[in-house]
Amino acid sequence: MDKKWADLTPDEKREARFKKWLEVPDIEFNSPEAKEAYGARLKRMANAYRLKEPDRVPVQFTFGDLPLKWAGVSPGTAMYDYSHIRRVWSRFLKDFEMDSYSGPGMAVLPGKIYDLIDYRLYIWPGHGLPADAQAFQYIEGEYMKADEYDLLITDPSDFWLRVYLPRISSVFEPFRNVRPYTSIFESPMSYFVPYTGADVQAALQTLIDIGREMAKYQEVITECTQEAARAGVPSPVSGGLAKAPFDTIGDTLRGTQGIMLDMYRCPDKLHEAMDKLADITINNAVSVANETGGITVGFPLHKGADGFMSDEQFETFYWPSLKKVMLALIDEGLIPSLFAEGSYGTRLEKINEFPKGSVIWRFDQTDMARAKKILGDTCCISGNVPSSVLTTGTPREVKEICRELIEVCGKGGGYILSSGSSVDFAPPENIHAMMEAAREYGVYN
Amino acid sequence: MMEEKKWAELTPEEKREVRMKKWIEAEDVEFASTESKKAYQERATRLMKALMLQEPDRVPVQLPAGNYPAYYAGGSIHKVMYDYDELRRAWLKFLYDFDMDTYRGPNLVHSGKVLEIIDYKLYKWPGHGLAENVAGYQFIEGEYMMADEYDALIKDPSDFALRVLIPRHIGAFKPFKKLVRPASVMGLPIGFVAQATNPDVRAALQAMIDAGVEMEKWQEAVNACNKEAQAAGFPSMRGGMGVAPFDTLGDALRGTQGIILDMYRQPDKLHEAMDKVADITIDNALAMTDDATGIMVSFPLHKGDDTFMSDEQFETFYWPSLKKVILALIEEGLMVMCFAEGRYERRLEALSELPKGWTMWQFDQTDMANVKRVIGDVCCISGNVPSSLISKGTPQAVKERCRQLIETCGKGGGYILTGGAAVAETNPENLRAFMEAAKEYGTYK
Repeated sequence: MDKKWADLTPDEKREARFKKWLEVPDIEFNSPEAKEAYGARLKRMANAYRLKEPDRVPVQFTFGDLPLKWAGVSPGTAMYDYSHIRRVWSRFLKDFEMDSYSGPGMAVLPGKIYDLIDYRLYIWPGHGLPADAQAFQYIEGEYMKADEYDLLITDPSDFWLRVYLPRISSVFEPFRNVRPYTSIFESPMSYFVPYTGADVQAALQTLIDIGREMAKYQEVITECTQEAARAGVPSPVSGGLAKAPFDTIGDTLRGTQGIMLDMYRCPDKLHEAMDKLADITINNAVSVANETGGITVGFPLHKGADGFMSDEQFETFYWPSLKKVMLALIDEGLIPSLFAEGSYGTRLEKINEFPKGSVIWRFDQTDMARAKKILGDTCCISGNVPSSVLTTGTPREVKEICRELIEVCGKGGGYILSSGSSVDFAPPENIHAMMEAAREYGVYN
Repeated sequence: MMEEKKWAELTPEEKREVRMKKWIEAEDVEFASTESKKAYQERATRLMKALMLQEPDRVPVQLPAGNYPAYYAGGSIHKVMYDYDELRRAWLKFLYDFDMDTYRGPNLVHSGKVLEIIDYKLYKWPGHGLAENVAGYQFIEGEYMMADEYDALIKDPSDFALRVLIPRHIGAFKPFKKLVRPASVMGLPIGFVAQATNPDVRAALQAMIDAGVEMEKWQEAVNACNKEAQAAGFPSMRGGMGVAPFDTLGDALRGTQGIILDMYRQPDKLHEAMDKVADITIDNALAMTDDATGIMVSFPLHKGDDTFMSDEQFETFYWPSLKKVILALIEEGLMVMCFAEGRYERRLEALSELPKGWTMWQFDQTDMANVKRVIGDVCCISGNVPSSLISKGTPQAVKERCRQLIETCGKGGGYILTGGAAVAETNPENLRAFMEAAKEYGTYK
């Protein structure tokens, strides 16, 4: 079986994955119609991915916790009382037609877990933000020092466990004092000496507590997803999330300022580290996708946008390691699905380097006509109803923009209608308008 | 901060001087009396001079007692592995009943309870796979790392340890097999802690806590012995432990058979892995002797002896990575003690390449006259009253052998009298013969 897989071409692998991905699960659907709709929705999405003409343009909702706001529940409340999540998303499912489920999983953070970790990379309602705040905030910092590239390169997992983790969570600070796992090989006794510390024991206990709490949270998320599935709305199995190596270092390790300096001060180390992280990313993405049966691997792209760096920096630092990851995933029959937040206008020619039907690009502020022209023959593209219009416009304005997008991008298939970025505030009518537009203007034949 | 900088600028000799001074002055020790302080400093000075190839007042003695204190006190290894009060009583009784120049605490007596909590697979011990009256452990060699896993070890050693080796070595940590690679959640850190939702992972974390709690009790007994010995005037040659990179791979990872095949089938991978393991060994040894609190690092050598491999294999595979480790520790002002178990007759030329006055070699079955001739100007040497004689001979025969050794090896200093190996089965008279011989025949000038 394994051998056979290795012998397949990337296209054959992708088709094999699609075949599995398109299987309608053996669950108790609410009705025969729901079961049929489930299959039709998956197929609609798959055809768009593959640059074939689906029955109509699919719509992808990425509306985060909007359903909470419509229900008048603050994120800070739902983060700590998961019963709200269940109730609100149940209602959302009844009220909205969706091609794929916009579930609560990534939208509502489990507050107790973040509290337990004392996670320093976010502030959230009630923890660094007012209790009634409407979102969480990422806190960038120099969590990895400029002279720590060698640690990261020579023993990455040791770096993560004993250097990095203790910095991003006060609870795991004591892990600084444990010995590297490699030291357990011949000396089990001396390895455990640091575990005599009450602080190390407390950190492990917290990890156990987190696990218990996380199980409760995941149960609620799973219930929501299953309810949607029974109603015929699939949550297309994702092959997991991955990041561009430059973003991994720039977002959560060195920070923007750090990595900008490194491009000038230690470009070779930066390249070496990105290359190492590229291998790690590939390895992980493939194993996650194999396990989940997903076909797309999502990449939220951050620092490669037009406004962040020059063309030369993009071509030298950002793109090569990301491309390496993408090619390796494509080789395994997976589809990198990249969300180019911000503007990618000057990158479009550069990024058109992949075989047909193997990549999906979602754009935010990029000109979609140009995107269709340059990438449309090879990539599925998606976007880009502006958040501003969704938030403050009328349903008619939203629908009009959707129509234009469908006309420009929908031709021949390979297009998914979606918002440019995640939307924090918008009236429900504006969201309905997107689906209306797809049904009215987006039907093929 | 200031001090750290200064440390890095010191030469190896200066660093050693700081370490030795701290060790001999022992300002942190609360001595039982002014006499015991004086005796401590005399003994430590005696040892230091021998180590550094100078003439001390007389040949120092390291009693080859091993686990004998357990039996001397009327118990057994099995008993002291499970009863820490008995462990403490036995080692303290031994301390007060015997004269010696350096004291070895019960650090190498493992806690049977800790080993059981973690379900350690690499040892059998009395009462656990061995009869209760057996006087030692049995190491269980095996192919714990497969021939095709070198790349995984080299690329991310701690990940390989955590998710591959440790689950094979330690029953309680088997669930770690299911973890994601720590370095792969670099960009999305929350993914790591979420793994504790798995109840098996939580059970493994609980075992880590339990091992730590139990370890604390064991450590209390061990520390009490060491502290009391110091207070009574007996220095220990304190520092860390290390393993030759070839032995790390050959003992606990690939096994003898595996590593011997690898020398022929994939020598380059083996070299690359040993080089990586050497770096890890250096880091670990330095971490164990941080802040100049230790004076030496000890290496029990296994697979490099005359009968295990050819001269060419020793020079190609065994010696280079071990030498790299030794030189790196010397650079940090640490002395290195190697226990050459078995026979090292044909290896002596290689040892003579080492920097003068930085290493101590304990020999087992090697001809000490030859040793003195070939490396006596370069290394402190120690050994090698045969274990058979110590166990079964008369006190007169032991004393006679000690006299011969002192005459052969003692000339000009640089010699420590001890056994060829540590013994558990002997009698008080035979052990006392060492000190008698040293006092009678080993005084300089």
